[in-house]
Amino acid sequence: MKNQFEYIIVGGGVAAATIAKGLLDHKHDTSIVILEAGPKIIAKDRRFWWDYITRGERPYTFTYDQKFEADSTGNIDYQTDGVRVKAYGGSTMHWGAWCLRFRPEDFNLFTNTGEGADWPINYEDLETYYNDAEEFLSVCGDDNANWIPRSKPYPVPPFEWTAADGEMIKAWEQLDVVYQDGDINPGKTSKIKSGKMPIARYRKCMTTGTCKYCPIGGRFNAQYVLDDLKNDPRFINFEIRINAPVHEVNVLNKSKIESVTYTDNLSGNIYKVYGDTIVLASGAYNVPKLLRASKNEFWKDGIGNDHDLVGRFVVSHSMLNVVGKATSNPNGWFQEYDFPTLMSHSYNTKEHQKKGKIFMFKNRTTPNVDIAQLMIDGKTREEIDEIVYGEMTINIQAFLEEKGKYSNRLEAKSGVDRFGLPQTTVHFSRTEKEMKNANDRLKLLEQIIEKMGLEVISSRVDKPGGHHTTGTARMGTNSENSVIDKFMKVHNTDNLYVCSNAAFPTGSAVNPTLTLTAMAFRLVDHLKQKVN
Amino acid sequence: MNKKLTCIGGAVCNEKLSASLIFAEGQDLTHQNKEVLWEIFEAIGINWSNTIYDSNNQRSSWYEMLKAKTENPPNYTGEYVNAIYVINELKAMYGKGGAYKKLFFESGVDNNAPPTTRLAHCKIYVVNEFIRMQITAGGFKSWGAKYGGEQAKNYHGFLGGTRYNRISKVRAYDPDAANLKNDQT
Repeated sequence: MKNQFEYIIVGGGVAAATIAKGLLDHKHDTSIVILEAGPKIIAKDRRFWWDYITRGERPYTFTYDQKFEADSTGNIDYQTDGVRVKAYGGSTMHWGAWCLRFRPEDFNLFTNTGEGADWPINYEDLETYYNDAEEFLSVCGDDNANWIPRSKPYPVPPFEWTAADGEMIKAWEQLDVVYQDGDINPGKTSKIKSGKMPIARYRKCMTTGTCKYCPIGGRFNAQYVLDDLKNDPRFINFEIRINAPVHEVNVLNKSKIESVTYTDNLSGNIYKVYGDTIVLASGAYNVPKLLRASKNEFWKDGIGNDHDLVGRFVVSHSMLNVVGKATSNPNGWFQEYDFPTLMSHSYNTKEHQKKGKIFMFKNRTTPNVDIAQLMIDGKTREEIDEIVYGEMTINIQAFLEEKGKYSNRLEAKSGVDRFGLPQTTVHFSRTEKEMKNANDRLKLLEQIIEKMGLEVISSRVDKPGGHHTTGTARMGTNSENSVIDKFMKVHNTDNLYVCSNAAFPTGSAVNPTLTLTAMAFRLVDHLKQKVN
Repeated sequence: MNKKLTCIGGAVCNEKLSASLIFAEGQDLTHQNKEVLWEIFEAIGINWSNTIYDSNNQRSSWYEMLKAKTENPPNYTGEYVNAIYVINELKAMYGKGGAYKKLFFESGVDNNAPPTTRLAHCKIYVVNEFIRMQITAGGFKSWGAKYGGEQAKNYHGFLGGTRYNRISKVRAYDPDAANLKNDQT
């Protein structure tokens, strides 16, 4: 078996697919191996799809972290179970594919607020790569939206607003953005604006609403890209090894990384593969655990960890969630898409950064009636009609921006999971001030529900979780404030890179995958230039 | 949920079975089997008045599901044949119309418990899955318009065709139309 490559990529998700494709497109005979800890789960399989439709079963959920494999400590429960797909294709097997750019102020959080961190790059450094990422992922977005500067139109037009979105849009038109205590210029107002959610869907998407397991491959899944690369006869030196958890990165000296060690889960054999360049693209959970596990005479506390920063500054999003109830639903609305179509960046601006920006959207699952379940339960047509046209609930939700804190840390705990990866503990706490800020933001959402003429029946801050975990091996200007540099190379090494959400110094208030993909495109350019 | 459930049917329906899928690897459905199963599917639309053309516009989707569930493991053929035994007994006891009413509305089967009788297997593995499939394939469309609203156009799992079509794929909000309506009132 071949054991020497130009590039070793650890992890088989969107970052790995983007990097491998970029390098292979540039030079077809580049030798690359991708090492993925999880198994391959077949996509676009009709039987799997029918089982999803008729039984609600998804074939990849068995790879999710169980609570015993990933727990948390601190003053708030951090959801670690059920959030990551550990398989070939990574979490793009199940992602919602909301594709939002970070905003310029997200790159200067510390400068603007005195909290969190700044990025060593600016929005302008990433802007053209955002264009590449949107094309690669096939993002359907609204060119008329002017929230964030962009130099190219979206590759695919947006999904339309649903009829039920209209009620929230009308409420937003009547409401101002409220600048609360802690925002810049409290007391100032401006209008709330409505936007169409940018979503990654290929043109062939049939709008089925079964995006959690698509029968036709209508939504980006890194597995499709990796399959294409594997099957392309031009790429003769490209390999993917699944069921291959990497447990150590090995060095020749302080700066030169030599190889990685992995186990073949099927045979139990341990292998070492050598690479000129090694990219850790295995997510914000595994990257810090792998770095800290790689201890040697040059790196006593793990690679990149001389200043005890690996795994720290965990950032996530908390979900704000307000539910309103109407006494009737005369139009018999239920959710017809399986993704949200209405959003607003009105509170996701620099002015709200100090207190914590929020990104608002109408929840994707309300209003809704599970008609089939009512039939299964033996309700008659008349009884179902009463429910369909009766009480209706609508949720508004928002991601709340959080700032990285030194004490919030993700690390390995003893034992390995079912795929041979170290188990996880997340230490995560919020301050009283953060709790208060979250509750203040909640009041804004309640106002919107009330303006819609609905009764607020629930208003809560949901726990943070691993869906959008970032920051655990963050970028920065030097090894005293960060783990990696502006090109995502681990400080004081020559050839070890991190391309995962772990690299993000801040998490903004929006989903991270588009930004990660843009950074992967940027890394490809850097690696190409380095070789040249 | 504490209501005591009284099961319907006779000796066949109430015969005890293991809760796991009835083993049938390597077995196939006959044409006659499929015709009886189609009658069950058709009866769903009749009893909830939510399909058109006696559900025949859903027949190809239904058949594709049947094929996927009987030609790939785990094989559902045993469950489908069991459902035929059950429905035959119910029809003998209650007549055709009565049999389906009993099965759909008064079966006494707890949908959340492991199925341990032939009747429960029929309800959970066949009827409930047929209902989900029927709604997904278009059975949802009869809702929305009762009080002058727009008929539903999409639902989880519905293959609506390309969205690059002049007809919207969902009941959509058009702000221009909404503003026009407001101006007129």
